[in-house]
Amino acid sequence: MSTGQQPAARRRRFAPLALILPLVLLGACAADAPQDTMDPAGPQARSIDNLFNGVFLVAVVVFVVVEFGMIALIVRFRRRRDDGDDDLPTQTHGNTRLEIAWTLLPAVLLAVVGFFTLRTLFDLEQRDDDDLTVQVVGQQWWWEYAYDLDGDGEHDDVLTANDLVVPAGVDINLDIQSNDVIHSYWIPRLNGKKDAVPGRTHPLQIHADEPGVYVGQCTEYCGLSHGYMRQRVVALPPDEFEAWLEDQATDAEMPTEAEAAAGAELFTTQCSGCHLARGINDAEFEEQGSGTELIVAENAPDLTHFASRGTFAGALFDLWVDADGDGFVEHDEIGGELNRADLEAWLRNPPDEKPMDAPYVPEPGGDKVRGMPNFNLQEEQIDQLVAFLATLD
Amino acid sequence: MAIVERPTAPLELTTGQVTARQPLGGFTRPQATTGWRSWLTTVDHKRIGIMYGAAALFFFVIGGVEALLIRLQLAAPGQKLYSADLYNQLFTMHGVTMIFLVVIPMGAAFMNYLMPLQIGARDVAFPRLNAFSFWLFLSAGLMLNTSWFLGGGADGGWFAYAPNTGVTFSPSHGMDFYALGLQMAGIASLVGAINLVVTVLNMRAPGMTMMKMPVFTWMGLVTQLLLVFALPVISIALFLLTFDRLFDANFFNVAQGADPLLWEHLFWIFGHPEVYILILPAFGIVSEIIPVFSRKPIFGYPFMVFSGIAIGFMGWGVWAHHMFASGMGPLSVAAFALSTMFIAVPTGVKILNWMATMWGGRLRFTTPMLFAIGLVTMFTIGGLSGVTHAVAPSDTQQTDTYYIVAHFHYVIFGGALLAFLGGFYFWWPKVFGYTLSETLGKWHFWTILIGFNLTFGPMHVLGLQGMPRRMHTYIADYGFEFWNLVSTIGSLIIAVSMLIFGWNIVASWRAHRADPVDVGPDPWDARSLEWSVPSPTPVHNFDEVPTVSRLDEFWHHKYQEDETGKVVRVATGAEAAQKGDATDVHLPSPSYWPLVTALGLPLIAYGLIFNLGLAVVGGLVVLIGAFGWGYEPADDPEAGHGHLGHDGHDDGHDGAEAEIEGGEAADATAGDGESQPAGVSAPTASASDERAASDD
Repeated sequence: MSTGQQPAARRRRFAPLALILPLVLLGACAADAPQDTMDPAGPQARSIDNLFNGVFLVAVVVFVVVEFGMIALIVRFRRRRDDGDDDLPTQTHGNTRLEIAWTLLPAVLLAVVGFFTLRTLFDLEQRDDDDLTVQVVGQQWWWEYAYDLDGDGEHDDVLTANDLVVPAGVDINLDIQSNDVIHSYWIPRLNGKKDAVPGRTHPLQIHADEPGVYVGQCTEYCGLSHGYMRQRVVALPPDEFEAWLEDQATDAEMPTEAEAAAGAELFTTQCSGCHLARGINDAEFEEQGSGTELIVAENAPDLTHFASRGTFAGALFDLWVDADGDGFVEHDEIGGELNRADLEAWLRNPPDEKPMDAPYVPEPGGDKVRGMPNFNLQEEQIDQLVAFLATLD
Repeated sequence: MAIVERPTAPLELTTGQVTARQPLGGFTRPQATTGWRSWLTTVDHKRIGIMYGAAALFFFVIGGVEALLIRLQLAAPGQKLYSADLYNQLFTMHGVTMIFLVVIPMGAAFMNYLMPLQIGARDVAFPRLNAFSFWLFLSAGLMLNTSWFLGGGADGGWFAYAPNTGVTFSPSHGMDFYALGLQMAGIASLVGAINLVVTVLNMRAPGMTMMKMPVFTWMGLVTQLLLVFALPVISIALFLLTFDRLFDANFFNVAQGADPLLWEHLFWIFGHPEVYILILPAFGIVSEIIPVFSRKPIFGYPFMVFSGIAIGFMGWGVWAHHMFASGMGPLSVAAFALSTMFIAVPTGVKILNWMATMWGGRLRFTTPMLFAIGLVTMFTIGGLSGVTHAVAPSDTQQTDTYYIVAHFHYVIFGGALLAFLGGFYFWWPKVFGYTLSETLGKWHFWTILIGFNLTFGPMHVLGLQGMPRRMHTYIADYGFEFWNLVSTIGSLIIAVSMLIFGWNIVASWRAHRADPVDVGPDPWDARSLEWSVPSPTPVHNFDEVPTVSRLDEFWHHKYQEDETGKVVRVATGAEAAQKGDATDVHLPSPSYWPLVTALGLPLIAYGLIFNLGLAVVGGLVVLIGAFGWGYEPADDPEAGHGHLGHDGHDDGHDGAEAEIEGGEAADATAGDGESQPAGVSAPTASASDERAASDD
């Protein structure tokens, strides 16, 4: 069939190459990557990772067989200098047994993969309705979280944004919804993603083994600022979580300090079209804050406990200084030193910091814009607002 | 032979009426065969194929510039080279351009040029419709790209998920251009597909049964059938979107009870077969190149054919694997996960058969062969990452990340595009009569292989590290910086590589002009019928319609077994080939009307977007075009015979059907596999060489 046998040593020379590509891949994944899908931090993500590792191994084997088989073919059957032009190799047309073998072999291999796939798939769908359930609502371009404390089935007791605060070590149910276009909720180290589709509620489960911050971002293209739509899960020890929840259920208090009080006044007059800080501008928000049908019901984050969050503007900016420099504002850094620079820049011109379709300041009751417009605030007003916002803990 | 029987007398109607030569006095058909006008009115499948290829390369430059702009923006974290809005338009238009305006038409270029030649026909079944589908595709592509100057490109992603594409969320006209432009491109592809299906089923040369067709023609047929059934789905989806956007319909208005998953399903029922529409012609090309340069017949021909058909069928049952995170429910996910896994089987069969074809061969590493091997090796990587997506739970981690971007570029770039580039090098001498430089070709291949892997290989890592796609920028310290920079460098290498390709075309042409070298009909010692005619292909394709008795008919005219059973050369390619000097061949006459009709449709589209009055004008143009088309005089087929030179043409014939000379027209319609044509003009081959591909 062929001329000239390749010495075995020559073929073995290529063998080390087989290890390089997978090693490069795995090595790269070991870098500091907080959204690494191969660094699971909870049982759901771990079962996916285990499944992926198995499939990846099978894929590497097939890869090596095909790619190095091809190199072997190229080396062994290349035309030699002394091959005559009219000298033809043996004309083989096919081999039915071989064809059947290499049809069945992959089919069997895939059936095995399929079995484990389905098992993991249905395992991941298991969900206990007694677990804490949080409603997760995607909006252009931030996430809102609603908790049901009194157990009446309505997620209307605690409303927060950007940081999803949960107790560590237990399963949490998420009911994922959207208020405008399709988004997708994804915390890679905790679980795969699930789309937030307007008009539908999709279940997802997360579970963080350890307290900590787990980051992710929207993964369904949702328009202008899709790339800036981020989210964090802040897992707390159960007792801290209970305390947090209790605190979130309270109203904000009108500040007494002069600058902050001026900020509250400004907030009430300027921001009530979209933002609510319960205990501060309830009446004005009631009057001005009805959303349009098409966009969102309440189209901006509830700011009652703004300062208790680690991030703002769709989790794009840190609200507090990252004291230990690990790249994340952890729960114990909240309430430390305020990240004034980003907050002031945001208030100065929001669409410049994060692309939004908000070219003008909407009239009360008029058409809403998508995102936060530029209010052309004076520096003094910005200072007042920052002072006020910092009191909303 | 053709679907319409050749009339016994010149255009005598059964009613006995005599058709008027110029029914309305002014409708003489265009006569030019040279100069730019002849290209506007041509109905020759070869010229149309060349124009498809040229247009696809033109749009490739546009789509490539869009890709480079994307990569430049992502070269480093937090860059703001341009706005998020423009980024969203760029990635949308990059996808739309590369899929609808580059890869589909590049496949159409090869299929238009080669399928009639490979089945021994003189043109397609409906030459004027063929011209119409090209001009409409070109109009659609240009119209889509004018959106850049008319308020901005589409910004909803090529997948255009509702309701983000509604007027509320995408207020510019970009998505209107998208909906109407793709609607036109869809009509163009649909018309072309029906044309080629009819051609293959009805116009094969005598003796060429379905199972004697070259693999490329088989894959082309499967592709065209996929188009016929897939395009109506996207047409309906686009109509719904158009009505929502332009006429305030509520198909995707959630407030009125719409379910956005409707669009996702409609889009992917089209969109997944679309993937096979992109790749199957490439598989066909590789199945032609590898046997030629291995000097062996394709291994397991029937398995190659049936695996292609299997992919075509199974391709309809896997669409929802694009939606594993969409929340459609675990049962649907399970079903589509399994079907997606098993579509890997026929694809794997193809890979292994290509390798088995090379096994025991005398491999000549010409540029086309290098590109073909490039497809086999790179597509394998894309196929394997595809299997990891079929593992649905793992896909919920990977979908909408750069892992997916890596995957489908390994399939579409590493698969389809590499094969098309190989196809260019392979058939260039047949089409233009000169060979592209092998030296530059090899530079092209190695630079593109390196650039491609540097660009898209790192995206696997980025995706697994959690970098979502469609982000106009990314923040530092997430481990994304290094591989994004590598990827951008890779994309620049691809750009250089494509410049080498462009330079190769120019330099090889200049060298040919300065010192013409006759490449002969068969420069590669190839196997199928297109190599049995002179290069470039004469306008009438075949002097004499070949009679076919075997797969690889032409090869068997060159090689036969001697007494000892050894296969030896009995003729050179030039000796075995036709001379191309036939003089009285009927060919369809050129026509203005496909172009006119095709130009009316973009006017309607612009009219719907900007001013309904313009739509009325466009409608009139289409109407006039259709009337002109219908009433175009059917020229006397006997007129103008006897002066057809080597590059000549026949200036009078009914344009509706390309016919084969009546005397030759043995019937070879689908299914008559047992027909044994009499009067075989070809040398008879020894029987043992004809053994069925599967029985040894």
